[in-house]
Amino acid sequence: MTRDPRAFFALDIGAATASAALVARLAGRWRLLGTLALPAAVGGSTACRTLLDRLGAADPGMAAAIGADPDAIERIPTVTVRSGRPRQLAVVAGSERALAPLARIAVGAGWSVRQGSAATLDPLAMSRLLLDPGVDAVLAGAGDPPGADERGAMRELATLVAAVAERRPNLTIVLAGALTDELARFGDVAARPGEVLLGAAATASADGHGLGELLSELALPPDDSRRAAIVGIQTLAELTARRVEYVEIGFDAGVRAIADPTLGRDEPVVRSAVVTAAALVPPEPDDAVLDRVLGWSTLPLDRHRLRDRLRELRINPWAGAAGEGAALRLAAARAALGRLLESTEQMHAGAPADLVVAGGGAWAVAPGPVVTLALADVLRRPGATQYAYDHARLLGPLGSIADPDERRSVMADLADDLLVPLGSVVTPAGLRSGRSAGRLVLHADAGDTELDLVPGGLALVDLAPGQTAVADFRFRDSVRLGAKGRQFEVEVAGGLGGLLVDLRDVPLKLPERHDRRREQLSAWQASMWAGLDR
Amino acid sequence: MTQIRASSNGHGLDLVPTRPLVEESIDIRFPLAPGDRVIIEEGAPVSIGAPLAERYRDTILAQASLPEGQVGRPGERWTPPEPATRRGPGRPTVRGQGRPTGGELLFPWRHGWRIASGEHAEALDAPVNGIVRELIPGVHIVVRAEGRALRGIVAIGGATRGRLQLAAGPSGELRPGGLDVGLAGAILVVGARVDAETLTRARAMGVRGIVVAGLPSKERRDYLASEARQRAALHRLPPFAVLVLDGAVRRSIAGPIVALLEALEGREVAIVADPPALLFDEPDLDLSAPPPDLVRVRSGRDAGREGRWIASLGQRRFEDGVLLEAAQVRFAEGPAVVPIGDLERFSLRSARAE
Repeated sequence: MTRDPRAFFALDIGAATASAALVARLAGRWRLLGTLALPAAVGGSTACRTLLDRLGAADPGMAAAIGADPDAIERIPTVTVRSGRPRQLAVVAGSERALAPLARIAVGAGWSVRQGSAATLDPLAMSRLLLDPGVDAVLAGAGDPPGADERGAMRELATLVAAVAERRPNLTIVLAGALTDELARFGDVAARPGEVLLGAAATASADGHGLGELLSELALPPDDSRRAAIVGIQTLAELTARRVEYVEIGFDAGVRAIADPTLGRDEPVVRSAVVTAAALVPPEPDDAVLDRVLGWSTLPLDRHRLRDRLRELRINPWAGAAGEGAALRLAAARAALGRLLESTEQMHAGAPADLVVAGGGAWAVAPGPVVTLALADVLRRPGATQYAYDHARLLGPLGSIADPDERRSVMADLADDLLVPLGSVVTPAGLRSGRSAGRLVLHADAGDTELDLVPGGLALVDLAPGQTAVADFRFRDSVRLGAKGRQFEVEVAGGLGGLLVDLRDVPLKLPERHDRRREQLSAWQASMWAGLDR
Repeated sequence: MTQIRASSNGHGLDLVPTRPLVEESIDIRFPLAPGDRVIIEEGAPVSIGAPLAERYRDTILAQASLPEGQVGRPGERWTPPEPATRRGPGRPTVRGQGRPTGGELLFPWRHGWRIASGEHAEALDAPVNGIVRELIPGVHIVVRAEGRALRGIVAIGGATRGRLQLAAGPSGELRPGGLDVGLAGAILVVGARVDAETLTRARAMGVRGIVVAGLPSKERRDYLASEARQRAALHRLPPFAVLVLDGAVRRSIAGPIVALLEALEGREVAIVADPPALLFDEPDLDLSAPPPDLVRVRSGRDAGREGRWIASLGQRRFEDGVLLEAAQVRFAEGPAVVPIGDLERFSLRSARAE
């Protein structure tokens, strides 16, 4: 689709934000000319039209060169991805032991999950759960072969689910594991408007991959922005030949994907999860959500006021974004990122990523260095990692380009515009407390910078976007920085936040008392936040 | 990347999300639980006060057998067979062990059926005229309502109906002392916020509903706890609902909405929970469209302020250096630069997001 035209729009329409980018072919390669994000209710076409107007006003010559006249809105093709309200899945099983892996897989597949087993819910309560009109699909599963604890309940469970399927013919039903043997109870499934699908047992593979794929297909439509962004990250890993991790905190869900370059293998290596519980603010923020946000908050708010502010943020995600609103969003984003990591523990294994890409509107309001700090606060990986931000929300639309060669070619052209480099973060682990842990000498084009490394603190070194340097670390004692040792030479890349040497504990230790914790977090944040008025 | 230039599209007013003031003929949903008894039929017209269903507060799981030759289907009602007439005094029955009262077939099990059977029925009456569009026992009844609807963000409580009365100004607040028995049967518009004590007392005095701009989380929680205690009691009060128009913090009710509510004062309206809305069927009510350049600050420090749109300004730096799309708005105190994301405007026509 991008082969013939001189320009195209990339549209990412989410529940809170409509983000448009104008991409055009200039001097033989694709370049990002402009980007605009607006409240979703305004709509993508208004954003596109405004982009064209602004291009025409700013550079009429360039607008003419790409054919962006006022009527071009009808002519310029658009690559669109969308993210809708998460669908709800009721997960049921014969026992709590059988339920746990089913629910874990469903949680990572983009479903909003409600669950219950025959051990904890009587048939009336389970019927109530499955008949709830908010439930879009049912996953009923068992081990294969079923465990002794679930065998006794399987027949009744299958009969109950079949009765619900008869009452709600549009409901999608997934039978997994040994419960697939009960398909006959569902009658003529071909005549039913809702599908009845058979899946592998949750424990059929180590990561429940087969069932997870099926559930992802059902949860996320083909033009889903999160699904497309995962493909985009996979392409980025191939292009950069680096291990790339993507963390998106969106209005309705969080996304985590880790992609490795194929390096000649046939199959791309990407692990991913879309977690609705990792939305910036869940629809009804409970006490657990509130406690987490409170734990990261730099605002002097009590629980009730914080809950009000979170509700307001959910109702009006675009409103009140300046000042305290930005700090609130960062606290909520850190909390959501924590929930995302907890829900994707199985993805922690393996080496840390070379490049971490942040996505989602949660990060849009804060300055780059503060976003880097927020990510480093929660990710806490010993090692050296480069951070970047998908500022134009292009990963989704570009990831949706069906032809892999075309996708690679466009993304390769846009490599310099696609992501905003936030900077590099070096996080040594195992530092001993004391006055000095060692020294850093940064060898950059502009000259050498020398720095004393004080345990427990943050050191920020200016390194502009596009610049690279070699950081020469000499520690007094042995630390972990990828490998264990005392002397390291690390190649680092610059960004809006430069080089951040994070000498705080891994994992991060914060004061128990809320006021002290808030003071500490505020001090770290203020050191990174140019233009902070408070 | 974006340029700081005014947009040519009506000075950029189309960058502000539009909030439809009223919607026509919305579908309202009444949730049902297994065991509830449906009274109406799909496709049937319903009128105000007509019984839709009986909901049961205490539903139990029971086992029943169908008469020989009868084929049951999940969701169908089951009525126990009449016992054979016997002579002599009746035996005392224990709650839950007496003669089954009937129920809803859940699923066949062994040689009979699992059924959901209830006690303590509560009538679910139609709060509006309309047509039953969908009916699934144990799931919901969907009614296409006649008339128009003003949407809120949440409604707490069941469907209710009463005459609308303005009890406080758009930026005011109703306190418990402001309530009296003369307000029984009314749906009160109470201004910018309301507390749990006022809600509880209003309910006890027979007020049918409250319309408010903001309901803080603490008040909402306290009221819901009081509501749960009330539900546990056998003595029932008339239906009562709280419709929240905007959010969780104090703010004035929007001018165009105040104008609508003023026009509706003294007329019969209904509050429904799903979707949260105030419904009215007044075909003669002539609503005037709000000025097209009227904008309102939705949230944040200036929540509730209204002004007239001047122009969009592109990106500007706001408090703490945050860079946002901005607009110039003329408020009563003079022009000011406001983030566009803070603003909303109103329209009489439904606006749809893509």
